[in-house]
Amino acid sequence: MNKEKNTKINIARLIAPVISSRDVMGTLTTEINAADTQMVSLDFKDVDFISRSAAHELLSMKEDLIRERNKKEIYFVNLNSPVRDMFRVTAANRAAPKSKKPEFKAEEVDLTTLLREVRI
Amino acid sequence: MKEVIVPKTKGDALVNQLGSLYETLKSLKLGEKVKFNLSGLDWTCPLLVLPLSAYINDTGSSFETSNTRVGSYLSAISFPGGIRTVTSFRRKVQSNKTYVPISVPKRDNNIERERLETLFMQMLNEILKAGKGTASAIYQPVGELVTNIFEHSKRDEGYIFGQFYPKKNYLDICIVDRGRGLSKAYKEEKGLSFSDQRAIAEAMRGNSTKPNKERGYGLRTSKRIVCEAMGGGFILITGTSALVSVGKKEQTVQLPNFYWQGVAIAYRIPRPTGPIDIYPYLE
Repeated sequence: MNKEKNTKINIARLIAPVISSRDVMGTLTTEINAADTQMVSLDFKDVDFISRSAAHELLSMKEDLIRERNKKEIYFVNLNSPVRDMFRVTAANRAAPKSKKPEFKAEEVDLTTLLREVRI
Repeated sequence: MKEVIVPKTKGDALVNQLGSLYETLKSLKLGEKVKFNLSGLDWTCPLLVLPLSAYINDTGSSFETSNTRVGSYLSAISFPGGIRTVTSFRRKVQSNKTYVPISVPKRDNNIERERLETLFMQMLNEILKAGKGTASAIYQPVGELVTNIFEHSKRDEGYIFGQFYPKKNYLDICIVDRGRGLSKAYKEEKGLSFSDQRAIAEAMRGNSTKPNKERGYGLRTSKRIVCEAMGGGFILITGTSALVSVGKKEQTVQLPNFYWQGVAIAYRIPRPTGPIDIYPYLE
């Protein structure tokens, strides 16, 4: 494995300009593992957005690849502002999750009341 | 084959769409094959046409309409079959439209699915023509809710549809599956027996059917972005129950003699007049 060179993977071309799903990260892992370099740059040029789920999966995948025996160095490059913000928020929530489960208290109503009174 | 007359929607509120869907599907047996008669409609709405698309495709049911205006609209939005590939989407879609046609992302080719979803969401964003942060506020809920279909429903396809109303200045989005629904997902994945109403509450509290504790917030954060960040309204239907949310107010309702197999979600967002920040709502 070449330890000096860097493989660049264009995420928008490989997957799509909006990354929503966790399961597409399998395609990315395959591509990263196929690279014969230790350093791999994930190029987010032309990626408009990544969802919280997809960002979470990608961060988990990055940690797994770092832990593996032939560990890879993964870099994220050319991130636009929404993509950068999503990685930051997701990483922060992973590092320090909220300790309390969120509350949910719904009022029970019958259909007739709902149709008569609610206007959305 | 039994004919079901689809009643007129009594008003343009999202809950009126729920009322129409309820009146159309109530008393049908599970998976019953019927013919929907849409001739009495003078307009349609996402929470009516998208579940009907999914129902027709799933059960082999059919439809008819003698109203040419409604008929040509249904044809334009690709009712009931929907668009299933990126190539078909690009061919069908023209600029300056107020709708994004019914699209049917499928499980089997996840990259094609991701690209079809991308086109769908980018077109919604273009139609809305709003400012900073709007794209993220469109992409995050649609992306998470469609992802939920393939992670939880056990079905291989989902249905999505968007309609913007320029005079009223709001966008309606609907996302539907014909899968196992929330209650059955808790039963099969965690051995928990919940009513549909309780299953909705657990899903909204972020109790995931997956073992990873960091998961389970997609539905809750999507609802918060719609209702709190964008000032919209949100409806979720599963089995015999529905959740109706507006602002921070939550209401659940039992739907007697009605059963939606799977999950149907509809939400309405007003066109934003200022910047939107979704990040405080992510957990």
